Amino acid sequence: MRSLVLFIFILVLSGCQKTEITFSGHASETFYVENAGASMRVLVEGNTASKTLIIFVHGGPGAGSFIYNTDYIRENLEDKYAIAYWDQRNAGASQGNCNGDELNLDQMVEDLKKVIQVLKYRYGQDISLFLLGHSFGGLLMTAFATKADYQTLINGLINVNGSHNYPLNETLTRNMLLTVGQQQLALNQNSEEWTDIINYCNSHSGNFTFNESVQLEKYAIDAEGFIPGVKQINIPAQILKYAIKNKYPLTSMLFNYIFSSNADLNKKLAKKEFSSFLYKVTVPVLVLWGKYDFVCPQELGDDFFMKVSSSEKSKIVSPVSGHNIMFQDEKLFCDAIAAFVQKFRH
Amino acid sequence: MLKLLIISVSAWFSFICVGQTDSSRMVNNALLGLKLSYNSSLIYPGLSAGIEFPVKIVSVAKTNKALVEKAITRSRFISGNMNWYHHPGFHDNVYLTTEWVMRRTKPGGFFSEFSSGLGFSRTFVGGTTYRVAADGIVSIEKLRGYNYAMITAGGGIGYDLQQKNQLPLSLFGKMNLFSMFPYNSTIYLRPAFELGLRFNTGCFIFNRFKKISVTKTKSK
Repeated sequence: MRSLVLFIFILVLSGCQKTEITFSGHASETFYVENAGASMRVLVEGNTASKTLIIFVHGGPGAGSFIYNTDYIRENLEDKYAIAYWDQRNAGASQGNCNGDELNLDQMVEDLKKVIQVLKYRYGQDISLFLLGHSFGGLLMTAFATKADYQTLINGLINVNGSHNYPLNETLTRNMLLTVGQQQLALNQNSEEWTDIINYCNSHSGNFTFNESVQLEKYAIDAEGFIPGVKQINIPAQILKYAIKNKYPLTSMLFNYIFSSNADLNKKLAKKEFSSFLYKVTVPVLVLWGKYDFVCPQELGDDFFMKVSSSEKSKIVSPVSGHNIMFQDEKLFCDAIAAFVQKFRH
Repeated sequence: MLKLLIISVSAWFSFICVGQTDSSRMVNNALLGLKLSYNSSLIYPGLSAGIEFPVKIVSVAKTNKALVEKAITRSRFISGNMNWYHHPGFHDNVYLTTEWVMRRTKPGGFFSEFSSGLGFSRTFVGGTTYRVAADGIVSIEKLRGYNYAMITAGGGIGYDLQQKNQLPLSLFGKMNLFSMFPYNSTIYLRPAFELGLRFNTGCFIFNRFKKISVTKTKSK
């Protein structure tokens, strides 16, 4: 029995926590950043020899970054630059004990700063770093970039269907549901579903409660599926496709997501806006949006684009995408990011 | 008074019907058991080693209409297990469990079992862990991981080679589900499949277990 215990202990020691830093065209290394009761997973994949990293700041809160790690991105973006898939606290493969009280925006901004510091420690202080924020990640990325001098740590921001202003977001979602809904009704498309949505929007015109915001978001997700020409994505099928290949910790992802999406954080986020702080942003900015994004409508991207002080900024809209342009218009997504990063990296 | 009489008669009748004992069957199942198994979660490898202490063995001999006797053994054990699995990039988990095991063995040697228990888990996160101090100094935390409490439940089937072949071995497959908490202020659930061998050591280091034998005859 003693030998068995020793054997297991040696296996544990040798099997995990190896410090591995690779500069190559096809790196793949996982490490963790510990902060305030959370060990947050960071998977760095791709061309680390380029000395250029793009940090994916995922949505949710709690959605995790595993889902973004697709074959297409691996073949068309990771071949040029490295991508750091960061699982925020209480998301994906991130681990801890009783750390729910630390799940707040300020803490997550500090977490992101520490992830950047660790990336620079591992891959060199001279690396180029870009933040890519999707959905809620757009808010977190904006909170980071508008805090103190934090944006000096990065070379650029890529806002992908991100929400930097939740109250404005809700109003725009309602307006878009009403406008597009009426157009679709006139075309006799999904009349029953659109009627329900329009009736709800007409009876809730503003000053939304938290529950109304949640309902609007549900309708926004449904609405994307009613638009012909928008590439539909099947998230469960995607999870099944990559679960074994990318070694998903499925139950960790699920329970973290359930916890985070029901946490008090969401009620606080409902009042958060960064439109009035965007003037502080001076780094280069790329705004990537889906034309049929009801969850974070295109005008939200316009607001972000107009209010940043960056002299170098561009905006690209995909005509076949909704809220998830990285899956719905993969080529445009990878090409636009590659061109932007190429232009502004060291 | 009538109620008391009926209860007394029933009790006496029950008593005289369970009077016979088959000690040889008991002894076979009363040995200290050692277990070694492959402990897998989906594709992720692991090992489990354990020890079983018999607590109660009930041997029930049933005689059917054709007067053929069939003996079923219902055993209860307390087991202690040391387990480990490796999920690359996520964590390694070393966990100790103690379980209450209920096993039912048929005359041919096939058995089914259910277990539930409590445990303690220590994880080691699946990669180098960095900490950044307030002044920006980055350091590596060795063997970073977390302690969790555990609840386990499982069920499985197997074959006891001792019943027919006199080999002190059992083969078994078992599906376990365990929960670790507090995991990020919530719980973590994980299924694990065990495939292994159980070895009856032949020593009676713990023989204070209850031995009961019951004979039931089916009458017309």
